[in-house]
This record gives sequence, structure tokens and C-alpha cells, in this order.
Amino acid sequence: MTPELLFLKAALVAYLLATGAFGLYLLLLHPISRLVGLSLLLAAFLAHGGAIVARSITAGHIAVITDYEALSFFAWLVVGVYVAVELRYRLPAVGAVVAALAFVVTLGSAVFYSGVRELPPNLRSAWLFVHVTLAFLGNAVLALAFCVSLVYLFQERQLKEKRIGERMRRLPSLETLDQLNYRALSWGFPLLTLGIITGAFWGKYSWGTFWSWEPRETFSLIVWILYAGLLQARLVAGWRGRRLATVTIIGFAVVLVSFVFGNVFFPGKHGGSFD
Amino acid sequence: MGRDILIVGLSHHTAPVAVRERLGFSQADLQPALGRLAGLDGVHEAAIVSTCNRVEVVACVEEDAHAHGLDAKISEFLAAERKMPHAEFASHLYAHSGREGVRHLFRVASSLDSMVVGEPQILGQVKDHYEEAALAGTSGSVLHRVFHRAFAVAKRVRTETGIAGKAVSVASAAVDLAGTIFETFDDKTAMLIGAGTMSELAARHLKSQGVASVMIATRTFERAVAVAREFEGVPVPFDRVAEYLKLADVVIGSAAATEYLVTSPLVQEVLRARKQRPMFFIDLAVPRNFDPAINQLDNVYLYDIDDLAVAVAGNVDEREREAVRAEAIVEEEVGRFWRWFESLEVVPTIVAIREKVEAIRRRELEKALATLKDQAPRHRELLDSLTSSIVNKILHTPISTLKHYDDRDGTLDLITSARRLFDVEPPSSATDDDESDKEST
Repeated sequence: MTPELLFLKAALVAYLLATGAFGLYLLLLHPISRLVGLSLLLAAFLAHGGAIVARSITAGHIAVITDYEALSFFAWLVVGVYVAVELRYRLPAVGAVVAALAFVVTLGSAVFYSGVRELPPNLRSAWLFVHVTLAFLGNAVLALAFCVSLVYLFQERQLKEKRIGERMRRLPSLETLDQLNYRALSWGFPLLTLGIITGAFWGKYSWGTFWSWEPRETFSLIVWILYAGLLQARLVAGWRGRRLATVTIIGFAVVLVSFVFGNVFFPGKHGGSFD
Repeated sequence: MGRDILIVGLSHHTAPVAVRERLGFSQADLQPALGRLAGLDGVHEAAIVSTCNRVEVVACVEEDAHAHGLDAKISEFLAAERKMPHAEFASHLYAHSGREGVRHLFRVASSLDSMVVGEPQILGQVKDHYEEAALAGTSGSVLHRVFHRAFAVAKRVRTETGIAGKAVSVASAAVDLAGTIFETFDDKTAMLIGAGTMSELAARHLKSQGVASVMIATRTFERAVAVAREFEGVPVPFDRVAEYLKLADVVIGSAAATEYLVTSPLVQEVLRARKQRPMFFIDLAVPRNFDPAINQLDNVYLYDIDDLAVAVAGNVDEREREAVRAEAIVEEEVGRFWRWFESLEVVPTIVAIREKVEAIRRRELEKALATLKDQAPRHRELLDSLTSSIVNKILHTPISTLKHYDDRDGTLDLITSARRLFDVEPPSSATDDDESDKEST
């Protein structure tokens, strides 16, 4: 077994255990299980990082080209963003969703597992790193917004249906979740924008055209318009709470669909056929 | 004659708020009123307990208060003090004397008689009013004892039963819930529509959580001003609640109203004005102040008193069980107090009986000796010891019965009977309770 696969499997196990520990925390409310969950998630993050580094060394470039690589890198970034946020806010409930998401996406990436691929010479440039990092980071922050929104909707429903209990008290307040959601959107959206712009420049540099309407580009544009509208609604019409959370979830669902659907059924340049 | 405990007053159980607020004493009125009250014929000691839910005179009076028309005298006193026609409140008055009076005072202090059973403020209010009486010099050994027992009973009820926690937990459950909606309170504003014990309690909790400001709207603006002073809040005219609602993040309703004060269309309008920032409505009023449909609006959460009661997690059975336990504690303490109260009169009664019988014996002995020709000291001694021993033997059983009699069920007032049988009256001021007071802790 290659070191990459070893790291990957360790990360998968740790993600699963972290999900369990966070879930246990929400069920039993035992403070220890929160710390265990956080430690496991951190361990998974490091192992996963190890797998990505090992693969990148083998490939000779940042490992974000194949479907497997892209999904795996994306999951890793989501966890990274969450860990950074968790340092400031205590959000074990969000951690439960993030760990579960990381597990599912990483496991999903393994389905598409394939060997490393040579990068065509025309794509080898600094644009790769810049474009991919920005776009993926943007999507990772939006994924966090998605997780936060899920917790928001859950908490909001409990409050509306008056299922009062200790569990409700352990979840973050609606105000915190709503604020965090908005913050994630206001970070994620510019990153996404920059990702699209750098992608266009990279396209111009590689293929001589800024925009070629290939599936991923089209989906990205849809997502971008959706989030732009959402931020606008928040700022102007005071959209918040349940509505904001619902649209955030829809937006991220489009991201996921664009990724899987686009790559599997409409493999364009992003899907691996580079010509 | 002996003494009795008499309570004359009215409360939320018997009188509407319109009567209560007119009959209530302000703190400034208390001292002079207490002086006049204690000056009434037949009143030995007196205190006045006046809160927003009750006005009561607690007095130590001549025994057989009713026969002396003391309850009527006290209600006339109230009419004169508060310049309120007697007829307007007389039908709301109650009078409790004897053990019934003691029980009533204990239940009041333990918050068993409160509008919100278990709310903690009443104990402090009773304490304050007792201190006013002590300051006025109108409370003596009996009121001292009965009030301090009442405080001890309230403490027992609070620590030994779960009932005291109920009101607090309804208010704190509301604030807890607010904490699941809002992260911090220092940038939030609360609004009280109507001011009652529980809404003030909830406001107090919010205040302790650091809520930035509290608006108070009550039907009479004066009341709003008074409550606002207490919370360092802002009084708001009742008819302008709709305008100010947009500033409020937490709205607590406890106003007496027959229809909804805040309707769904109004809240929709308010939400637009405040850019959909969340609002938390707490409806403590029965009938309710807020339209239940409000809860269906986005970013608005409405909880009424029943929802909060569920939050407190106490089911009805549990509450009833706690109430029964609390009443049992009160009953036990009433018995204990009453035994002490009666014992106040046991010793003077025994002394009086002994003195009376001894006086008879001496008088008769002297008479007999005067008719006796042979007045040898030997004969004198013999007659003296003979009569003494007869008197002591006869008195032994009644006196030891009086000493050890335990009037647990209060059906037989033996001391009064004994005084009637022997036709004696113990001096009513002789006994002090300093010694027996120690046993109370």
C-alpha cells in the first residue's frame, strides 16, 4: 500500500469516528465527547493532508486534477475551514455535520480513484495553483455555510415546534448560526468570484479564450448568480434566518451537483479531457 | 383576657386589581398608618403587608376579636386611611384569626397564596413590611415571633419542596429560550407589555443577562413609570406600543386584555421595519396578549405560559405533590407556633390559679384560727400544712394537665376553659418569649 492510500484510509476512519463522537456529544451532551470529536477531526485533517501531499509529490504538481483528487482536496479544505472557525466559535453541532460531510465526500472521491495523470504542457503554469486554490477554498467556505445552515434549520425547527430541552440549549444560538452563515457567504462569494476570474485568465492563457461555456463554467456561473442574489437579498431586503439558510443549502447542492453531474456526465475540460 | 392573632385584608383571590391598587399603602404612608392602627382599642401589636397583590393587616389583638368587633374596626381603619368608601371594598375583605390567621400568614410568606405560586419576591416584601412595623414600634413579642416563624417556614418550603422553584424556572426558562435565539443580550432591547410578578421576574433575569434596555408599557402610565424606575427602563405609553415594538427583540406580555394586543399583521409590519431581525415573544398573560399565529412568521418565536410550563418539565402531578408537601410543612409549623402561643398563657394562668386558691386558703385558715381557742403554734402548723396539702392535691391534676396539654388539633381550648372555671385573668403583658424563641432555629 502506498503511503498516500495509508493516509487516506486513516483519515477516513478518523472522519467516521469524529462524526460518531460529535453525534454522541449531541445525544449525550458529554463534554468529553466534544473534545474527542475535535481531536479525531484534527487527526483526520492531518492524515488527509498527508495523503494529498504524498499524491502531489508523486504527480509532480498539486493533486487536484482527477475527480478523485479534486473531491478529496475539497473535503480536506472544508475540514480545514471548520477547524479554523472552531478555534473562535464553539460549534460542535456544526462539527458533526462537517465530519460527516468530509467522510462522505472523501469516501466518494475514493470511488473515482485512479492513478496520477500527466498535466498537458499548456496547462502547466502558476494559474493552476492560484485558480484551483481560490475556487476550492471558495467552495469549501460555502460548504461550511451549508453545514451551518443545516444546523440552523434544525435548531429553528426545534424552537418553532417547542421541543424544548437540553439539546436545544447545547446547539449554537440562531443569532450565532445566522451570523456565521452570513460571514461564510461574504467570504465564500468573493473567493468564488476570484476563482472564476482566475479561471478565465488561465483559460485565455491555455486555450486562448476567457470563457468556453463548458459544463463546469456554466454551473459555476449559476452558483455565482445564486449567491450574488442571496447576498443582495440579505443586504437590501434583510433576508436572514430560515430563508437565508434554505437558499444557502440549495446553492451548495448546485455546487455538489455541478461537480458530480458535470464531471461524470458532461466531462468537459474540468472533467479531465484537456483538449 | 388572652390574646389572639387576627389578619384582615384582601388579595388577588378576593379583590380585582382596581380595588387592590387603591387600597394599597405606599411606603411613605406606612409609618403614620401603623401608629394609628396600633392605637386602636384592643390592638396590641400590628403590621401592614401591602403588595400589588394584597393588602393585609396582621395584628395581635384581644382575644375574641370578632366579639369585640375588631375586624370591623380594622376595616374601618383601612377605609379611613386610604380614603376609600368602606362599601367599595368591604365585600372583598377576609378575616382570619387564631390558627387560621397564623396559617394564612405562613402560606403568604411561603408564596403558596401568591398569584404565581412559588414566586420568591413575596418573602422579601413580607420581610420589608414587618421591618416597617418594627421600626414604627408597633410589633411586639408576638408579631416578632409569628413573622420570624413565617420567614423560617418560607425557607423550609423553599428548600424542602420543589414548589419554590416553579415560578423562577418559568421566568428563567423564558430567558434560557431567549438564549437559544440570541447569542448576546447587551445589544438587545426588551419590552414589557403589562407588568406582573412573573414578567418582572423575567425582565430581571434578562437584565442580569445584560440586556441593554427595557421598555415598559402598562395601561396606566404612572405604573409604567414606577416599574421603569425599578428596572432603569423606559416607560412607554400603552397606546403607542405598536410604534415602539420595532425596537424590541424580546417582548413579554402580561397585560389584562380580552383580545390580542399584538396581532400577526402588526408583527409583519414591524419585521419589515426592523429588517427581519428576529423577535422573541413571551406571552405570560391569560387570556393571551399575542396572537398565536405570530409563531408562524419567519424569524419570530412565540411561547406562551403553557409552553414554558412544559419547558420547566414539571408535570401537573409533580406540582400537586409539591404543593401538598408544602401545605404539610405549613400545617406542622402552625401547630408548633400555636403550642408556643398558647404556652404564653399557660404559665400566667397556672400562677393566677395558684394565687387565687392560695388566697382563699389563707383567708379561710385565718378565719378558722381566729375561732380556735387553743392557739398553740403546733395547731397552727398542723392546720396550715393540712390545708396546703389538700389544696395542692386538688390542684395537682388540673395544673399538670395544663402544663402538658398538647393542643394538636385545636378543638379544645383548655387554657380558656381553665381560666373560666377558676375565674382568673392572667396579666396579658407579663410573658416574654425571648427564651422560647431560641428553640425556633
